Amino acid sequence: MTAAAVVPESAAAPRRLRRALPWVLLLLLLGVAQTLLLLLTVRYEATRAQDETELVVGEMASEIRGALLLAEQQLQALGWGPGPVDAWRAPAAELLKARRELRRLERRDNAQNVLEVQDSPYLPRLFMQMPRSALGLEAEAACGVARRAAAPTFSRSYFVPTAAGLGSEVMDLCVPVQLAGRSQGFVVGTFALTPLLEGALAVRPARRHEISFVEGDGTRLARAGPSRGASTYRAERIIDLPGAQLLLRADSSSAAPSVIPNLATALVLGLSLALFAVVLLLARDVRRRARAEEALAEALAFRQAMENSLVTGLRARDLAGAITYVNPAFCSMVGCSVQELKAEVPPYWPPEHLQAYQRRQAARMQGLATVARDPAEAREGFETVFMRQDGERFPVMVYEAPLVDGQGRHTGWMSAVVDLSAQRRVEDISRQQLDRLQATARLATVGEMASLLSHELNQPLAAIASYASGSMNLLADPDPDGATPGLLRQALERIAEQAERAGHVIKSVHDFVRRREQQHESLAAGALLESVLPLARLQARKSSTRIELDLPPPGAPPLRVRCDRTMLEQVLLNLARNGIQAMETATPLQDRVLTLRVRPGPPGRVAFSVIDAGAGVPPEVAERLFTPFFTTRAEGMGLGLSLCRTVIEQHGGTLEFGPGPLGVGTEFRFTLAAPKPAQSDETAASAMAA
Amino acid sequence: MTPALDPLLGIPVVYLVDDEDVVREALAWLLRSRRRLSEQFASADTFLSWLARQTAPTRPNWPASPACLVLDVRMPGTSGLALFEQVAERGLLPVLPVIFLTGHGDVPTAVAAVKRGAFDFVEKPFSNNALVDRIEQALQASAAELPPWRAGRLRDRALAELTEREREVMSRVVAGRPNKLIADELGISVRTVEVHRARIFEKMNVGSAVELANLLRLGGGHDGE
Repeated sequence: MTAAAVVPESAAAPRRLRRALPWVLLLLLLGVAQTLLLLLTVRYEATRAQDETELVVGEMASEIRGALLLAEQQLQALGWGPGPVDAWRAPAAELLKARRELRRLERRDNAQNVLEVQDSPYLPRLFMQMPRSALGLEAEAACGVARRAAAPTFSRSYFVPTAAGLGSEVMDLCVPVQLAGRSQGFVVGTFALTPLLEGALAVRPARRHEISFVEGDGTRLARAGPSRGASTYRAERIIDLPGAQLLLRADSSSAAPSVIPNLATALVLGLSLALFAVVLLLARDVRRRARAEEALAEALAFRQAMENSLVTGLRARDLAGAITYVNPAFCSMVGCSVQELKAEVPPYWPPEHLQAYQRRQAARMQGLATVARDPAEAREGFETVFMRQDGERFPVMVYEAPLVDGQGRHTGWMSAVVDLSAQRRVEDISRQQLDRLQATARLATVGEMASLLSHELNQPLAAIASYASGSMNLLADPDPDGATPGLLRQALERIAEQAERAGHVIKSVHDFVRRREQQHESLAAGALLESVLPLARLQARKSSTRIELDLPPPGAPPLRVRCDRTMLEQVLLNLARNGIQAMETATPLQDRVLTLRVRPGPPGRVAFSVIDAGAGVPPEVAERLFTPFFTTRAEGMGLGLSLCRTVIEQHGGTLEFGPGPLGVGTEFRFTLAAPKPAQSDETAASAMAA
Repeated sequence: MTPALDPLLGIPVVYLVDDEDVVREALAWLLRSRRRLSEQFASADTFLSWLARQTAPTRPNWPASPACLVLDVRMPGTSGLALFEQVAERGLLPVLPVIFLTGHGDVPTAVAAVKRGAFDFVEKPFSNNALVDRIEQALQASAAELPPWRAGRLRDRALAELTEREREVMSRVVAGRPNKLIADELGISVRTVEVHRARIFEKMNVGSAVELANLLRLGGGHDGE
């Protein structure tokens, strides 16, 4: 039977829900935490990439700016050289050689007419596809500004197409040349933007970023570095130049950080998965445990119910004899609570048996091994007496078995205790019924005999009476006829006959009694006492009286008596019962001892004594003790002792009584004849003949 | 001391049924000393077979004289009580009163028998003359019952001889109906009714309708419609 089957469905569902709730919450929190962690990791990666990009663009911007400003100064220096063209040409060529980004240098006069042109030696001339004049607008504007501000000014960048459909984005730097406050013309440098970027990259390598100049709308003017990829991370920086601005942009080549290839993320993810797995395992384990617990609780409840339903008392004791466990049946049997039972001396041990029980327990402790090895003995159990809380003694049957723990060690004793008092009561009642039945049967036999006897005697007596009455009638007849004398004779003859018949009946009764005497047999005195012992014990049990047999020591010559065994047994039983009843009321429990003693008597006789420890016989009772129909008990007939005396006298002895040998109680004594050696042989012979 | 019985009724007889010979014989002897005739039976069965012969249909007049049955309750074979039941069944109890002799222990049985019509019971050991006195009283009772009982017997035998039609006519005659009415009721002629009537009177041995009615009332034994 499972718990689910026992607990109604409606009750089971909420409980399951309640138990599942923490788990669901835990999983949820774990999920949230892991997701957050993952998100944060990814975000961190992104931020890092962005930051790097920002850094790169910043560095590049300052580098480019620095480069341009340096170029500006160099151009200024170039412009200061007065005079001859040759003197200009050489430093210009040198400058072009030194700076790759500088594609062309022009000298112009104040009217912006190009006087001298020097091209970069590294690349084809810039204005081969389109003439400079077509593309001079930006330079002119810059120079205009430069003259007005009397400072170098950059133009806006513009595209110069070159051969094969290509082209490059360039910007001009116009440096006014002044000499003693007077404008002497301009030096115009044309910078290609791409080499500018490449130059910057050469100085500060940024391998994972594409650097480009872009316009406000995002159009790329020039680029350098690796291809920009998905352009997830980008940073822009404005480079402020006199007269113009350049928008520098860095695109990180790294894509948006993906989850798996990222080591940290993978680690976190892996750990999360492991965590989930562990949680799942844990949950399963907990569920298994819960199920086991449930089964255990069920088994425990089952056992508890079983123990509580038992009528048999259960008692577990450890090896020192202390009680470790009792079931309710045991508690109710002895009427003590569990706490009271934990006392050093069990409260259910009757005080009068205390020592005997302690001895027994000590013996059991010593004989541990032997008892433990013999389960058959435990099954048989032993009978003993316990005491209830209210002092009532009751017989119990105790079955003991060794308690063995999981490691196979012997840890104590488990006893099943069965209350026998009900059984005893039934036995007592049935025994009493049997007694009554026997008494009734005896009475019935006596009645039967009386009836038979009276019938046998009645007939002749009735006949005699009839003849007598008839004779009187005849004698009184005033008018006798001739037949009267004959009738009278007949009547007298009949009367004589019947009287003789009655005499025969009486004689046959005598014969019967005599025959009974011939049934005397020779037997051992001890055997006689022992044969009444079971019945006497049965009677003694109700009042917890002990019966002790006091026989001559084993070495002494055997005592034999010659008697009617049945009658003598009856006598001994009667005396024993009297003794037991004498101790029933006033004598303390521990003093209730009845002794059956046999000793050699006067020569040729054997003395028997029945000794009780009662209050003795009061003098006024003593006088009438053997009187038939005298009794001190309500239910007694007063025939017991009288019959006993008759039987003993028939056996040639006397029944006497007096105070017990120790001064307490009463002793009943009588003697029986010991068989003569020849007589016993004769008895044996006659028994064989019979 | 006891009133004499009518000698015309014949010699009274006491029947003694007891298995104990000594007691029975002594009792018979005692009765003889009181001048009473007795007949002895050692068991109920012998008495029953004898009784069966006496009361055979061919001999309707038994008992011819006052009688009394003295009966031991406890006997081997048929018990006294069973015998009593047989006597009662034959309708003889009024003319054959039964006195039980009881040992101790049989008293309740005897009391029950008395309630069912036995004359009395006497406990053993009995006082002899008291028993004889009781027997005398029983004989008196029997003598008193005998004539009407015997008349009833005769009447019953006569009734048994009537034919069915005669019986029908007789019941109407006793009811006091005139012949004419009877003839109408039975659908026969008045003449026929008269013939029936004469035959009825003859068979029943009466002279008039009144006598016939008295005879039928006797003992209440008539079982007409």
